[in-house]
Amino acid sequence: MLLKKFFNVGLEDIAVVERKPFGLADLARYPLFTKEFLAFLRNAMPVHRHEELVFSIVITAHKPFA
Amino acid sequence: MGYFREGDARAIIREAYGQVQADGATVAEAFYAPQELARIPREAVELALGVGHPIRHASLRPGEVVLDLGCGAGIDTLLAALAVGPGGRAIGLDMTPEMVERTRRHAAAAGLANVEVREGLIEEIPLPDASVDVVVSNGVLNLSTRKSRVLAETMRVLKPGGRVSLSDLVLIETLPEEVLKSPAALAG
Repeated sequence: MLLKKFFNVGLEDIAVVERKPFGLADLARYPLFTKEFLAFLRNAMPVHRHEELVFSIVITAHKPFA
Repeated sequence: MGYFREGDARAIIREAYGQVQADGATVAEAFYAPQELARIPREAVELALGVGHPIRHASLRPGEVVLDLGCGAGIDTLLAALAVGPGGRAIGLDMTPEMVERTRRHAAAAGLANVEVREGLIEEIPLPDASVDVVVSNGVLNLSTRKSRVLAETMRVLKPGGRVSLSDLVLIETLPEEVLKSPAALAG
Protein backbone atom coordinates (compact mmCIF):
# COMPACT_ATOMS: atom_id res chain seq x y z
CA MET A 1 0.00 0.00 0.00
CA LEU A 2 2.70 2.48 1.03
CA LEU A 3 4.99 1.39 -1.80
CA LYS A 4 2.16 1.96 -4.26
CA LYS A 5 1.86 5.55 -3.01
CA PHE A 6 5.58 6.02 -3.77
CA PHE A 7 5.03 4.61 -7.25
CA ASN A 8 1.92 6.71 -7.87
CA VAL A 9 3.74 10.01 -7.35
CA GLY A 10 6.42 9.00 -9.85
CA LEU A 11 9.29 7.88 -7.66
CA GLU A 12 11.53 5.21 -9.19
CA ASP A 13 13.76 2.36 -8.01
CA ILE A 14 11.60 1.95 -4.92
CA ALA A 15 13.13 -0.56 -2.55
CA VAL A 16 12.52 -1.75 0.99
CA VAL A 17 16.09 -1.93 2.27
CA GLU A 18 15.24 -2.88 5.88
CA ARG A 19 12.27 -4.66 7.41
CA LYS A 20 12.07 -5.60 11.08
CA PRO A 21 9.24 -6.64 13.40
CA PHE A 22 8.25 -4.00 15.93
CA GLY A 23 6.50 -5.22 19.05
CA LEU A 24 5.38 -4.15 22.50
CA ALA A 25 8.92 -4.28 23.90
CA ASP A 26 10.02 -1.86 21.19
CA LEU A 27 7.14 0.51 21.90
CA ALA A 28 8.01 0.50 25.60
CA ARG A 29 11.28 2.32 24.80
CA TYR A 30 9.39 5.41 23.66
CA PRO A 31 8.58 8.15 26.17
CA LEU A 32 5.49 8.92 24.09
CA PHE A 33 3.67 5.95 25.60
CA THR A 34 2.43 5.60 29.16
CA LYS A 35 2.47 2.36 31.11
CA GLU A 36 -1.33 2.48 31.01
CA PHE A 37 -1.36 2.65 27.23
CA LEU A 38 1.10 -0.21 26.93
CA ALA A 39 -1.05 -2.29 29.27
CA PHE A 40 -4.09 -1.42 27.17
CA LEU A 41 -2.27 -2.59 24.03
CA ARG A 42 -1.13 -5.79 25.74
CA ASN A 43 -4.73 -6.60 26.55
CA ALA A 44 -6.18 -5.47 23.24
CA MET A 45 -3.74 -7.31 21.00
CA PRO A 46 -3.70 -11.08 20.63
CA VAL A 47 -0.61 -12.64 22.20
CA HIS A 48 0.81 -13.78 18.86
CA ARG A 49 1.01 -10.12 17.79
CA HIS A 50 2.88 -8.86 20.86
CA GLU A 51 6.26 -9.24 19.15
CA GLU A 52 5.03 -8.13 15.72
CA LEU A 53 2.51 -5.33 16.17
CA VAL A 54 3.83 -3.66 13.06
CA PHE A 55 7.00 -3.68 10.96
CA SER A 56 9.60 -0.95 10.82
CA ILE A 57 10.89 -0.48 7.31
CA VAL A 58 13.30 1.74 5.45
CA ILE A 59 12.28 2.64 1.90
CA THR A 60 14.60 4.22 -0.65
CA ALA A 61 13.65 5.68 -4.03
CA HIS A 62 14.65 8.44 -6.40
CA LYS A 63 13.07 11.03 -8.61
CA PRO A 64 13.58 10.45 -12.35
CA PHE A 65 16.25 12.56 -14.03
CA ALA A 66 14.01 13.63 -16.87
CA MET B 1 -6.10 6.94 10.61
CA GLY B 2 -9.62 6.98 9.29
CA TYR B 3 -10.96 7.41 12.82
CA PHE B 4 -9.53 10.93 13.15
CA ARG B 5 -10.16 14.06 11.13
CA GLU B 6 -7.03 15.75 9.83
CA GLY B 7 -7.20 18.71 12.21
CA ASP B 8 -7.90 16.51 15.23
CA ALA B 9 -5.07 14.14 14.36
CA ARG B 10 -2.66 17.04 13.93
CA ALA B 11 -3.65 18.52 17.32
CA ILE B 12 -3.17 15.18 19.08
CA ILE B 13 0.24 14.65 17.51
CA ARG B 14 1.38 18.23 18.13
CA GLU B 15 0.43 17.96 21.80
CA ALA B 16 2.03 14.54 22.30
CA TYR B 17 5.33 15.50 20.68
CA GLY B 18 5.37 18.99 22.18
CA GLN B 19 5.12 17.59 25.69
CA VAL B 20 7.43 14.61 25.39
CA GLN B 21 10.41 14.68 27.74
CA ALA B 22 13.84 13.09 27.43
CA ASP B 23 13.86 9.72 29.13
CA GLY B 24 17.14 7.94 28.52
CA ALA B 25 18.56 7.02 25.14
CA THR B 26 17.08 3.59 24.58
CA VAL B 27 15.39 4.50 21.28
CA ALA B 28 18.53 6.03 19.79
CA GLU B 29 20.73 3.18 21.02
CA ALA B 30 18.52 0.72 19.16
CA PHE B 31 19.21 2.32 15.80
CA TYR B 32 22.42 4.38 15.80
CA ALA B 33 26.07 3.49 16.35
CA PRO B 34 27.74 4.78 19.54
CA GLN B 35 30.23 6.81 17.49
CA GLU B 36 27.34 8.58 15.74
CA LEU B 37 25.57 9.37 19.02
CA ALA B 38 28.80 10.72 20.48
CA ARG B 39 28.68 13.58 17.95
CA ILE B 40 25.12 14.64 18.83
CA PRO B 41 24.04 16.68 21.90
CA ARG B 42 22.74 14.43 24.64
CA GLU B 43 19.23 15.87 24.72
CA ALA B 44 18.80 15.28 20.97
CA VAL B 45 19.88 11.67 21.49
CA GLU B 46 17.46 11.20 24.39
CA LEU B 47 14.59 12.71 22.38
CA ALA B 48 15.12 10.52 19.32
CA LEU B 49 11.69 9.09 18.50
CA GLY B 50 12.34 7.55 15.10
CA VAL B 51 11.85 3.97 14.05
CA GLY B 52 14.99 3.35 12.00
CA HIS B 53 18.10 4.97 10.56
CA PRO B 54 17.22 6.52 7.19
CA ILE B 55 20.50 8.45 7.01
CA ARG B 56 22.39 5.15 6.81
CA HIS B 57 20.70 4.43 3.47
CA ALA B 58 20.73 7.96 2.07
CA SER B 59 24.30 7.85 0.66
CA LEU B 60 24.80 11.51 1.55
CA ARG B 61 27.65 13.35 -0.14
CA PRO B 62 29.47 16.56 0.80
CA GLY B 63 27.70 19.64 -0.52
CA GLU B 64 24.22 18.14 -0.79
CA VAL B 65 21.01 19.73 0.49
CA VAL B 66 19.01 17.37 2.71
CA LEU B 67 15.46 17.84 3.95
CA ASP B 68 14.34 15.98 7.10
CA LEU B 69 10.54 15.72 7.14
CA GLY B 70 9.30 15.86 10.74
CA CYS B 71 12.70 16.48 12.24
CA GLY B 72 11.61 16.21 15.87
CA ALA B 73 14.48 17.07 18.21
CA GLY B 74 16.88 16.88 15.30
CA ILE B 75 19.01 13.75 15.53
CA ASP B 76 18.72 12.89 11.82
CA THR B 77 18.98 16.54 10.74
CA LEU B 78 22.23 16.87 12.68
CA LEU B 79 23.64 13.60 11.33
CA ALA B 80 22.75 14.77 7.82
CA ALA B 81 24.47 18.11 8.45
CA LEU B 82 27.62 16.28 9.55
CA ALA B 83 27.51 14.08 6.45
CA VAL B 84 27.06 16.86 3.90
CA GLY B 85 29.61 19.12 5.61
CA PRO B 86 29.90 22.89 5.65
CA GLY B 87 29.37 23.10 1.89
CA GLY B 88 26.01 21.39 2.20
CA ARG B 89 22.85 22.09 4.17
CA ALA B 90 20.42 20.11 6.31
CA ILE B 91 16.92 21.48 6.64
CA GLY B 92 14.68 20.22 9.46
CA LEU B 93 10.94 20.68 9.05
CA ASP B 94 8.50 20.11 11.90
CA MET B 95 4.99 21.30 12.75
CA THR B 96 5.62 21.31 16.52
CA PRO B 97 7.12 24.60 17.77
CA GLU B 98 8.80 22.89 20.73
CA MET B 99 10.61 20.49 18.39
CA VAL B 100 11.68 23.29 16.05
CA GLU B 101 13.18 25.12 19.01
CA ARG B 102 14.90 21.98 20.25
CA THR B 103 16.50 21.24 16.88
CA ARG B 104 17.75 24.82 16.62
CA ARG B 105 19.23 24.58 20.10
CA HIS B 106 20.83 21.21 19.41
CA ALA B 107 22.36 22.41 16.11
CA ALA B 108 23.85 25.39 17.91
CA ALA B 109 25.18 23.17 20.69
CA ALA B 110 26.80 20.92 18.07
CA GLY B 111 28.34 23.93 16.33
CA LEU B 112 26.59 23.11 13.07
CA ALA B 113 26.09 26.28 11.07
CA ASN B 114 24.72 24.36 8.08
CA VAL B 115 21.43 23.43 9.80
CA GLU B 116 18.27 25.32 8.99
CA VAL B 117 15.02 24.58 10.84
CA ARG B 118 11.56 25.51 9.63
CA GLU B 119 8.18 25.21 11.28
CA GLY B 120 5.62 23.86 8.85
CA LEU B 121 3.61 20.95 7.56
CA ILE B 122 5.03 18.04 5.64
CA GLU B 123 1.91 18.21 3.46
CA GLU B 124 2.84 21.78 2.46
CA ILE B 125 6.63 21.85 2.39
CA PRO B 126 7.78 25.47 2.58
CA LEU B 127 10.55 25.08 -0.01
CA PRO B 128 10.81 25.84 -3.73
CA ASP B 129 10.49 23.23 -6.47
CA ALA B 130 13.60 21.16 -7.22
CA SER B 131 15.62 22.61 -4.36
CA VAL B 132 16.64 19.48 -2.41
CA ASP B 133 19.03 16.62 -3.24
CA VAL B 134 17.77 14.16 -0.62
CA VAL B 135 14.62 13.83 1.48
CA VAL B 136 14.82 11.77 4.65
CA SER B 137 12.18 11.06 7.26
CA ASN B 138 12.00 8.86 10.32
CA GLY B 139 8.70 7.59 11.72
CA VAL B 140 6.69 10.55 10.51
CA LEU B 141 4.81 9.64 7.34
CA ASN B 142 2.54 7.26 9.27
CA LEU B 143 1.37 10.25 11.34
CA SER B 144 -0.08 12.02 8.32
CA THR B 145 -3.67 11.55 7.19
CA ARG B 146 -2.51 12.62 3.69
CA LYS B 147 0.45 10.40 2.87
CA SER B 148 0.07 10.76 -0.89
CA ARG B 149 0.14 14.53 -0.51
CA VAL B 150 3.36 14.28 1.52
CA LEU B 151 4.95 12.13 -1.17
CA ALA B 152 3.76 14.49 -3.93
CA GLU B 153 5.36 17.38 -2.04
CA THR B 154 8.52 15.30 -1.67
CA MET B 155 8.61 14.85 -5.45
CA ARG B 156 8.07 18.56 -5.98
CA VAL B 157 10.98 19.72 -3.83
CA LEU B 158 13.43 17.05 -5.03
CA LYS B 159 15.83 17.93 -7.80
CA PRO B 160 15.76 15.59 -10.83
CA GLY B 161 17.60 12.45 -9.75
CA GLY B 162 17.08 13.38 -6.10
CA ARG B 163 16.79 10.62 -3.53
CA VAL B 164 14.44 9.56 -0.74
CA SER B 165 15.28 7.48 2.34
CA LEU B 166 12.40 7.02 4.70
CA SER B 167 11.90 4.91 7.83
CA ASP B 168 8.40 4.19 8.99
CA LEU B 169 6.03 1.70 10.55
CA VAL B 170 3.69 -0.38 8.43
CA LEU B 171 0.91 -2.76 9.30
CA ILE B 172 0.99 -6.29 7.97
CA GLU B 173 -2.27 -7.20 9.70
CA THR B 174 -4.81 -4.65 10.82
CA LEU B 175 -5.07 -3.60 14.46
CA PRO B 176 -8.20 -4.05 16.61
CA GLU B 177 -10.69 -1.19 16.29
CA GLU B 178 -10.23 -0.15 19.93
CA VAL B 179 -6.53 0.40 19.22
CA LEU B 180 -7.16 2.28 15.98
CA LYS B 181 -9.51 4.64 17.83
CA SER B 182 -6.96 5.41 20.54
CA PRO B 183 -5.37 8.90 20.41
CA ALA B 184 -2.26 7.48 22.09
CA ALA B 185 -1.85 4.95 19.30
CA LEU B 186 -2.30 7.69 16.71
CA ALA B 187 0.53 9.74 18.20
CA GLY B 188 2.87 6.75 17.97
